[in-house]
Amino acid sequence: MDALEAFARLVMLTLVPYVLAGQGTMLAGRAGVFNVAQEGIMLVGASVGFLGAYLSGGGLLQGMLLAMAVGGLFGLALAYFTTSLKMDQFVVGLALFFIGLALSTLFYRLAIGVTLTPPLIPTLREIPVPGLSRIPVLGEILFRQNALVYGTVLLSLVLYLFLAYTGPGMALRAVGENPMAADSLGINVALTRYVTTVVGSMLIGLAGAYLPMVYTATFTEGMVRGRGWLSIALTFFGGWSPHLIFFGALFFAAVEVLAFRVQVTGVGIPYQLILMLPYLATIAVMLPTFRRLQIPAFLGKNYDRERRLLL
Amino acid sequence: MAGEVVPYAVGVAAAFAAVGIFLAAMGFDVPRAYGTILFTSFRTANGFVQTLLKFVPLLLLALAFTVPLAAWKFNIGGEGQLIAGAVGAAAAGILLARLPAPALLPLLLVAGTLGGALWAAVPAWLLYRFGINEILITVLMNFVSFGVLDYVTTEIWPDLAAGHPTTVPIGAGGRLPLLVDSPPLHAGFILALAVAAAVYVYLTRSAAGYELRATGANPRAALLHGIAVRRLFVLALVLGGALAGLAGAIEVAGVHHRLIEGVQSNYLLLSILIGLIAKGSTLAVPVVAFAIAVLDVGARAMQRTMMIPVEVVFVVEGLILVFVLLADVVRRR
Repeated sequence: MDALEAFARLVMLTLVPYVLAGQGTMLAGRAGVFNVAQEGIMLVGASVGFLGAYLSGGGLLQGMLLAMAVGGLFGLALAYFTTSLKMDQFVVGLALFFIGLALSTLFYRLAIGVTLTPPLIPTLREIPVPGLSRIPVLGEILFRQNALVYGTVLLSLVLYLFLAYTGPGMALRAVGENPMAADSLGINVALTRYVTTVVGSMLIGLAGAYLPMVYTATFTEGMVRGRGWLSIALTFFGGWSPHLIFFGALFFAAVEVLAFRVQVTGVGIPYQLILMLPYLATIAVMLPTFRRLQIPAFLGKNYDRERRLLL
Repeated sequence: MAGEVVPYAVGVAAAFAAVGIFLAAMGFDVPRAYGTILFTSFRTANGFVQTLLKFVPLLLLALAFTVPLAAWKFNIGGEGQLIAGAVGAAAAGILLARLPAPALLPLLLVAGTLGGALWAAVPAWLLYRFGINEILITVLMNFVSFGVLDYVTTEIWPDLAAGHPTTVPIGAGGRLPLLVDSPPLHAGFILALAVAAAVYVYLTRSAAGYELRATGANPRAALLHGIAVRRLFVLALVLGGALAGLAGAIEVAGVHHRLIEGVQSNYLLLSILIGLIAKGSTLAVPVVAFAIAVLDVGARAMQRTMMIPVEVVFVVEGLILVFVLLADVVRRR
């Protein structure tokens, strides 16, 4: 029981970057902007998040805000190049991925240089919820976590309610499903895409900052290790809807924790196979589900109101 | 032609200028840094050969990205395909080590090419059968390949004397002959150029290549004209994988003479950059690939001698890409 409890607790902890990056991807995608720069934005978020915290003497909040700000700038660039300049979304996304990757290491090298021992920041504290944390088992798993774990649950709930039940949420969805119809109803297509892409990228930047703040206490090159790409898979897997993305992230987090556990304890399986596990598992779950998934009709396609033919 | 070259020149100059201002503000000696970046490749024979050795995998991987791009499919899996190719080539080179060169070398190159093609066949098949986004699967297959590479170098044919995960050497017959003995330049350089020429002819001068490009330009129109669009996507991705696999085989047969961990270097990122800067033109790819190889060799020299991080040059390259793309937008108006 104890082992299972510890496992569930770790899954909740590991969930956060997947949910944040997945919801960030979803938000822009539901308005029609397919962001593929996650890996780069998360790396730059991890880098500046770490640096912000380190240089401010351990201020994790400063680090998070900085990571969100830089993520937002990437989102702004993506929105400007695609929505305003009508450049191809994949091309711009890949360019931003490259730039994010380069900047993440560059910032770190310029601010810290090469050191013998890695510079460390404090990790995010657990905040037990008064009362609830004393519930046996569930209290341990759900209510003795860091603030961002609670934050992602809340975020997913708010996004779900926002998209399903509010006017602006429906307007947002209309922009991704049929921008021409949305435009004719007076919904500002460009503004919607700007806002969702910027906010979404802020979440992705924060997802990156979570890694040094919870797992490693320092920044290392390429530390995102594919989580950005996996979050795209997660978003597809979750059918571009917030509640399913949250539950899908449970699967991604569980596989990651499992892989880590087996690596530490070693059960006679070659550890290389364990390293591949998250990626193989992702490919495997895509097989039966991908066809049935809902995808915003205008995902990845720019909208030009001057054009009469919708392609 | 001038209309093509001017935006590139302006983009390159603007990118260097922007980063130069930043570097000057950081207190670095910008003229010396840029001198190192641009001229290291041409100052010594060694520097020039280094550049050509980097050019070979960059060229092939950039083509591995460009060929599917003609059908508007994004192959971000060149890294995994290169590794699969290197594994295939090393397997042939180690298992058949006693064969003489006329038999072993071609076998090794074919094994590598097939390895890369097979690795790319997975995302291609998933795209064909289930319509799963190719960007996603090609990327995920990269991460899977790292595990394969580690397993092969540490478990199957490990060279225990080496301090780094490495296989035992391939048979002497599997080595690519040298064009220049010192500093050593292998014949893979010629092979890569020949392949690039073949890809150029295929894409721009053949009916099959035309169908590929027509599909990329407008898949619906292509479908209505009787082109088997989905089958072409498979072909494009597998062809890309074969090119990347060949790059891996050449690294094994020409450079390392064994399989080593880290054989993929940072070639994938640079090759995507090359493909995008060249805007998918197979004629421009070799030129851009050479320029990026020059910058990469120069950047490493700059890091060694001036302590300026090599990533500075990545930012320059990223900016060049952005400016080149922007030039298109300006021209459209």
